[in-house]
Amino acid sequence: MKVRLLPILPLLALCVVTARGAASEPEKRLESAVNEVIAVADRSSGPAALAKGIRPVLQKYLSFDAMTRRAIGPGWKQFSPEQQKQATQLFTTLIIRTYSGKYTPGERPAVDFKPASTPAPGRVEIPTTILYQGSRYAVSYRLEEADGWRITDVVIEGVSLIANYRTQFDAEFKKGGPTAVINALTQSVGTTE
Amino acid sequence: MKSILQLPVLLLALATAAFLSSCASKPAPKPAPTPSTEPASAPATGRAKKADGKSVRPSKNPVDDIDTYSAATINDPLEPLNRVTFEFNHQLYTLVFRPVSKTYEFIVPKPVRTGVHNAFENAKYPVRLVNHSLQGRFDRAGKETQKFFVNTFVGVGGFVKHSDRYPELADLPSADTGQTFAKWGVGQGPYIVLPVLGPNSVRDTVGYAGDYALNPVNWVTLVFGGATWIIAIPSTNSVRSLPVQLGVYDAATKDSLDRYLAARTAWAQNRAEVAKR
Repeated sequence: MKVRLLPILPLLALCVVTARGAASEPEKRLESAVNEVIAVADRSSGPAALAKGIRPVLQKYLSFDAMTRRAIGPGWKQFSPEQQKQATQLFTTLIIRTYSGKYTPGERPAVDFKPASTPAPGRVEIPTTILYQGSRYAVSYRLEEADGWRITDVVIEGVSLIANYRTQFDAEFKKGGPTAVINALTQSVGTTE
Repeated sequence: MKSILQLPVLLLALATAAFLSSCASKPAPKPAPTPSTEPASAPATGRAKKADGKSVRPSKNPVDDIDTYSAATINDPLEPLNRVTFEFNHQLYTLVFRPVSKTYEFIVPKPVRTGVHNAFENAKYPVRLVNHSLQGRFDRAGKETQKFFVNTFVGVGGFVKHSDRYPELADLPSADTGQTFAKWGVGQGPYIVLPVLGPNSVRDTVGYAGDYALNPVNWVTLVFGGATWIIAIPSTNSVRSLPVQLGVYDAATKDSLDRYLAARTAWAQNRAEVAKR
């Protein structure tokens, strides 16, 4: 087993070095985002402290505007500018909480970046493998170029964060339009559990 | 009964064949990628396609872009009944499973829990081996066999996941019976929330039964009918998997607007992804 793997190890190391050397702008951007998040998480004592400390970092690297628009979908056009602003603020809080709630203090994830793909001009998808608490997860980051490269979606084991909210927002929107979406968001943000 | 007893022999034969095929210098030919069976399974990653197959450049108007953002869905004709079962499960998880899981985490130290988890996952090797083989992925079946031997013999009975030190083994995709059905072109069928077990589809429920029968941990139950003296292993298996299962459930439903929809979408997306691997 070892004998079979040994000859390819230097080759693998070379691949890693080459990949690093040719890292594109969005890849560098994602890497620094991940490093900053890990640094903040290392300093935080728990999920609440993490949620507070991580907000400016995520605001720098994520596009909450694009995320909210996508999660709400075509119904977005029927939101008034005031409702759009309110929905974005609420959804931002929810995303930050989702992000920080998944984290246990003191557990450092090991992130392995894979080669990026370009599904469309101005869009990049970067797959990674994250080793966290002894389990490996396939996590893909979607980035878009608008006001610099920003993360617009995170896909964990095939589950897109935005698509998951989209299904729920669609259902609320069908029930009662923008008001129902905002009410559901307010209720979800207000729930401490 | 007899066929169940013959299973280990069959598996050993399959394992040997797979191991030999992977050791051969030429890699096994890869079958052509199977198109996903789910009609809306591909989350849009950018360009939408017109009916004539030409790609459409993403529009500058952000609202047009979001129209392409659809994810895997699943037909849910039994939604009213499923919602009732889902809520029952939610209460069961909160009132019974969570305390059991917390107690297990409190009593058993983390390194031991990880070891036990690894050992039970390693023991599920026949599930992965048989399904890689049924999918025609003999290269993966071979790697799975290498992984099993490394973890069993170097990793002391599977307690240490030694295979993680080798990237080609660490990143080996898992395989299950439902996934095999998907690769064969069997559709999901309607979504069903099973009591206790949770989200599933008609296809994957049959797949679950296949995985259960292929998991050596359950063989004692299948052969001896769950006699009390022998039930310890399957029970330990259930308890050790609780923290992980509840973790997945929480990740999918926490911070949701409607936890039923959140769990259903997450499940459908994940299964569509697994079918593509």
